[in-house]
Amino acid sequence: MDEPTLIRLATNGDPTAWEPLVLAHQQAVFRLAYLLLGDPDEAEDVAQETFLRAWRALKGFDSTRPLRPWLLSIAANLSRNRYRSAGRYIAALTRAFRNEPAALNIEEKSTQNMDASQLWKAVQNLSLPDQQIVYLRFFLELSVTETAEVLQVAEGTVKSRLSRALEKLRAIIQQKFPVLIEGREA
Amino acid sequence: MSQIQFEEQMKSMASEMQYPYTPDIAGFVMPRLHTSTHARFNSKALAWSLTIILVLLSSLMFIPSARAAIIDFFQIGAVRIFPPQPTPTLTAPLEATPTTTIPETTTPQPTSDLLLLLNKIAGKTTLAGAQQIADYSILLPTYPADLGEPHYIFVQDIDGAMTILVWLDPQHPDQVRMSLHFIPSQSWVINKMGPKVIRETQVNGRKAIWAEGPYPLKIQGSSDVEFTRLINGHVLIWADGAITYRLETDASMEEAIKIAESLAPIP
Repeated sequence: MDEPTLIRLATNGDPTAWEPLVLAHQQAVFRLAYLLLGDPDEAEDVAQETFLRAWRALKGFDSTRPLRPWLLSIAANLSRNRYRSAGRYIAALTRAFRNEPAALNIEEKSTQNMDASQLWKAVQNLSLPDQQIVYLRFFLELSVTETAEVLQVAEGTVKSRLSRALEKLRAIIQQKFPVLIEGREA
Repeated sequence: MSQIQFEEQMKSMASEMQYPYTPDIAGFVMPRLHTSTHARFNSKALAWSLTIILVLLSSLMFIPSARAAIIDFFQIGAVRIFPPQPTPTLTAPLEATPTTTIPETTTPQPTSDLLLLLNKIAGKTTLAGAQQIADYSILLPTYPADLGEPHYIFVQDIDGAMTILVWLDPQHPDQVRMSLHFIPSQSWVINKMGPKVIRETQVNGRKAIWAEGPYPLKIQGSSDVEFTRLINGHVLIWADGAITYRLETDASMEEAIKIAESLAPIP
């Protein structure tokens, strides 16, 4: 069954139609939340909340549009709000009580992916809107059209914002993570 | 290195990113589709968070002013209502409450200049526009039958998209008949200090509060929030799932409850 049909069935209240849609998009939603929040537990909460909210708001969704950008848009909003909320302080306190690191330690897990995790650290120096556009285009590999749908802006705006974000990122890399460029040039 | 080369390099590096294993989101979500349970309250961290909150609250109970603040409020969704205090120490709970509070700047009474105020409120949009921004269903009252669609629709970011619907009085088009706020759960906690009228009631069997305005509203061109009221009436506050509703009207409480219970998705 294709996605628009599943969305129509789900909009009419059929939960069995919602399940394959959750399965199809849960990875992208979880990964975006993880990139934005840096914590797998929080990303899991945001991903769960995203699909519950989307289910409740399905009646207002145009079933002819692709679902993924809309879901990512909800996940990004929830992550942004969580990023600024008091809940993060509670989460940080919780981790302190459990004596856990602030995020899953990717570097220790993946020596082959040192560059990617260093790049992630560099991106975290950008503003939240700039981070979001870099994550969507480069990390989740969304097209310009899909990114524009997620951010609810024109495609031209995506290109100009991305270009500005990359300029800033390049400056950050040159200043704080030069090994990322030198390593590849060598 | 050219900009294009730099972009290609970033893309290539980003594609090598390793993520934690994606948890079984569907397994959690599917049994909860027909409940209003909030996902975040089912987090693995819940028990720890509650423990920490309890420890913090217990500590605060040793401070008299904080103790008063903790005990003396009703909370409906995102709105906390602090009853009037019999002593002149009204500000103590506000100072001691560990939540976001918003400075009260103005509380104008409704006048014929209200339409000017409506045109100054930030975030004006259409019903379709509001529904696109909000990640919850915008509901409209089906009672009273002559109400129709709202005349003004606003969506404001208060750490979440707050939707405000405003209906004008058909007999007095320079006055507001009713307004309805949709406040998402992740937004600020709004503290309503010492309203003169507080009555506990129910909307669709859920706890509700009948109290007094004013509203927090964002005004165009200002980063501040102003407290203002559109109607010289009362406000009915109730919550349903992740959304807190505030209905301001000059109608009676019984009439306001009928309006609240008539909310339905946009046809």
